Amino acid sequence: MGRHEKPHETIGNMSNFSVGFRAEAHIRILDLKGELDAHTVSELEAALQKCREDKNHHIIVNGEHLQYISSAGLGVFMAYIEEMREAGGDIKIAGLQANVFNIFDLLGFPLLFDIVEAEEEAIRKFDADRNEKNDS
Amino acid sequence: MKEALSPGKSPVANHFTNRILQSGQGYIDAALRNRGQRVAFIVAALICFFLSVAFNVVEWVSGAPWHAAVNFAYQLVAITGFVLVWFLLSYFLKQRPASPLKTFWTTLLVALLSAGVIGLMIGITTAENVEGNAAVLGFEYDTGVPLTFATVVKMHVVSSLRVLLAFYLLLRFQDLVLFKRTKQSQRNWYLMLISMGVFSLLFILKDPAEDPGIVQYIGLTLVVILMILNAFRVSWIVFLSFRAKAAGVGFSILLILLLLASLSPDGILPAHFMYIRHASYPLEQFTLAALTFGLLYCVTSFLFLIFHLPTTGDFRRKTGEITAMYSLTNLVNQAFDPDKLHLTITKTPVDTGTAQMAWLAIADERSGSLRPQVVAAWKTPTEDIETMVDVAALYEELAARREPVVLDEAPADRRIRKKPGDPIGTILMTPLITRDRLLGGLFVAKDVVQGFEEDDVESISVYAAQAAIALDNARLFEEQLERERLSRELDIAREVQQRLLPHDLPKMEGLAVAASSIPAHEVGGDYYDFLELDEERLAFIVADVSGKGTSAAFYMAELQGIFRSTTRMAPSPTDFLEQANLALSSTLERHVFVSVIYGVIDVRKGELTLARAGHCPAILISREGAGRLIRPQGLGLGLDRGGRFRDVLEEEHIPLQPGDTVTVYTDGVVESRNSEGTEYGYERLLEALKALRKKEASALHEALLADLHDYLGRTEYDDDMTLVVLKWDGTKNHTKRSAT
Repeated sequence: MGRHEKPHETIGNMSNFSVGFRAEAHIRILDLKGELDAHTVSELEAALQKCREDKNHHIIVNGEHLQYISSAGLGVFMAYIEEMREAGGDIKIAGLQANVFNIFDLLGFPLLFDIVEAEEEAIRKFDADRNEKNDS
Repeated sequence: MKEALSPGKSPVANHFTNRILQSGQGYIDAALRNRGQRVAFIVAALICFFLSVAFNVVEWVSGAPWHAAVNFAYQLVAITGFVLVWFLLSYFLKQRPASPLKTFWTTLLVALLSAGVIGLMIGITTAENVEGNAAVLGFEYDTGVPLTFATVVKMHVVSSLRVLLAFYLLLRFQDLVLFKRTKQSQRNWYLMLISMGVFSLLFILKDPAEDPGIVQYIGLTLVVILMILNAFRVSWIVFLSFRAKAAGVGFSILLILLLLASLSPDGILPAHFMYIRHASYPLEQFTLAALTFGLLYCVTSFLFLIFHLPTTGDFRRKTGEITAMYSLTNLVNQAFDPDKLHLTITKTPVDTGTAQMAWLAIADERSGSLRPQVVAAWKTPTEDIETMVDVAALYEELAARREPVVLDEAPADRRIRKKPGDPIGTILMTPLITRDRLLGGLFVAKDVVQGFEEDDVESISVYAAQAAIALDNARLFEEQLERERLSRELDIAREVQQRLLPHDLPKMEGLAVAASSIPAHEVGGDYYDFLELDEERLAFIVADVSGKGTSAAFYMAELQGIFRSTTRMAPSPTDFLEQANLALSSTLERHVFVSVIYGVIDVRKGELTLARAGHCPAILISREGAGRLIRPQGLGLGLDRGGRFRDVLEEEHIPLQPGDTVTVYTDGVVESRNSEGTEYGYERLLEALKALRKKEASALHEALLADLHDYLGRTEYDDDMTLVVLKWDGTKNHTKRSAT
């Protein structure tokens, strides 16, 4: 809590997990920090819910500072992905640390989700998707 | 009093009168907020003023009165100028609100100043006779034409000063009259102002030499009635301290004396009203009426101040008591029913008369939404609030400021979606904060603009602090209940889980099996099981349902059913997992999934067939100490409910060597962390298994758990830990078979 600079709005500073909001053009970027488990999962849920309420369906989850994720945490992604995709958006996951990626990987998430190394790549992919849509 | 004013008027008519009365001023105030418009107003007023001076100068020069039509136009111009001044002054005074005492002494000061200047002007230049004509105060007796330039100047300066005093007095006293305003009092006030204006205009074509007619007298009666009504609006007095009241008595006496002296024909300013009358008859009437009202109001204020002096202490105590009472008694006993508590919190400000409408909005992080919800409302249906105001936007401001916020002109606020008829004029929003946390916001509203005074804000703040504590208590209580409910649920879940696990381990020739599942303090959804398919083949499963508690136990039970029923019909691990995915997908909640590792060991052939659905890889250790992770591709059950699951699912066939150990486990084993927060991890697990490979299955199992336990340094686990060890000793089997 507060050890790193946080220039943007964050929620959930009560625990060792936090979600920060950023916006990049039409994309909403969620910066996850700390440990995402059954106790902290409601904060990510609230963040995604807010995106939904704001009709923001292009979401990048930046996991650079995510230290751990439990199955409950993974479940949140499952709960929202379908809806975001149906609305023409997506949840892309970027910058995961090796150990966290391994948890995603074990369950086969890379087969279902767009998991990329860097946030910029995810942004590029979103842009490419959009151009494709515009072309067609 | 109410009946006297609007006998037999329908509510609709009343409503529209109110709208018109309120909004005229409101629109002009809004226009004046723009600096350019203000300058335009000032310029226009000045033009009017100089036009009227020019009119009289021409009259003086020519020595003959203007034509009646020109005179009428002159009156209009002069009056328009002063109307503009009224709005300007109204705007400037609104920017600088004054306390009751300040109102009195500044009015006194302005009145003294204006009386002084007028006295000087009248004293310096006395009436002059020109060419032997009889003149009064410098005007021709018959025509009223000013006789000297000095007279022209005097008439305009005197009337400007008087009218300014009248305006200042009315605008300042307006705040006093409208203190703790109601619709009724607000309307009475504006009606008085309008009737004074209309009454004055009745004199526009009147010759000052004639007596006023019947119409003027009727107008006067109405004005007087309204003045008396408004003069009794002195509720601000009771909120003053003793000293302030004593000072108020002094100021009001002085003001009474000064007004009396300057109003009476034989007073300190003899006949100065004649100058105003010559400048504009309507203005004189208006000034007279305004100053008379000022006098009347000072008299009632004086009397009430005197009456209330002795009861000041009592009143203070009483209000203190009421505040304390309504905060505490109502809230304390309601901690057990949140809905009732919410309603009481919203009801009380209305019941005590502070507000006319109230609602409570709560943003609960735990409910998964940051959007504030209106949980209770009083004097309006809860669901109507969202249509009337933008609750989220208001709440955002409240969350940012964390102090009471008053929206004095709510209808002009873009966040208020007011329709005609919505009773929202002023909104006071107060944050509910305890232990540094913002729990919600209490919103109270009145149907008039600028409806809340300082003491209202204060008492609501005190009340909000109590309400926040009550809310917090209710929340803690609820959490306690929830915890207890959860712990009961967990007990049940734990029992179910234990019953679902196999009681006896399979006994097959050449295969030793050891297995255990240690539940965490919060039960997870670990499951393992075995089924002997035939003499040679043993199916085993280890699974982990995401989520905890009874729902996890429920899915475990379902998985057990699938395992027991489907295994025999599914010829291969991939077939089984496909079936299981199909069966579970229809019941799994969207955010729940199950990771499974499923294998079949053929003890005679010495072959392991394995498929993995998102589960931790199996570990194979040979007798020689070579170890590898077996990790065929596969998605967790429930992650994909279509063909994808089948498409990506792989199966691995592994020939076993005698002495090989197959270990399957759940993530609780590898993800368990020691006090430093470091995970047990795959490396450590692999090394431990290699080191222990020579032991018998059950001994190995036991030793591995001991190692884990040592590593963690405690006996309580964050997650269920399931560990299954299968050791194939083909040689024994083989020798046995060959021996027979």
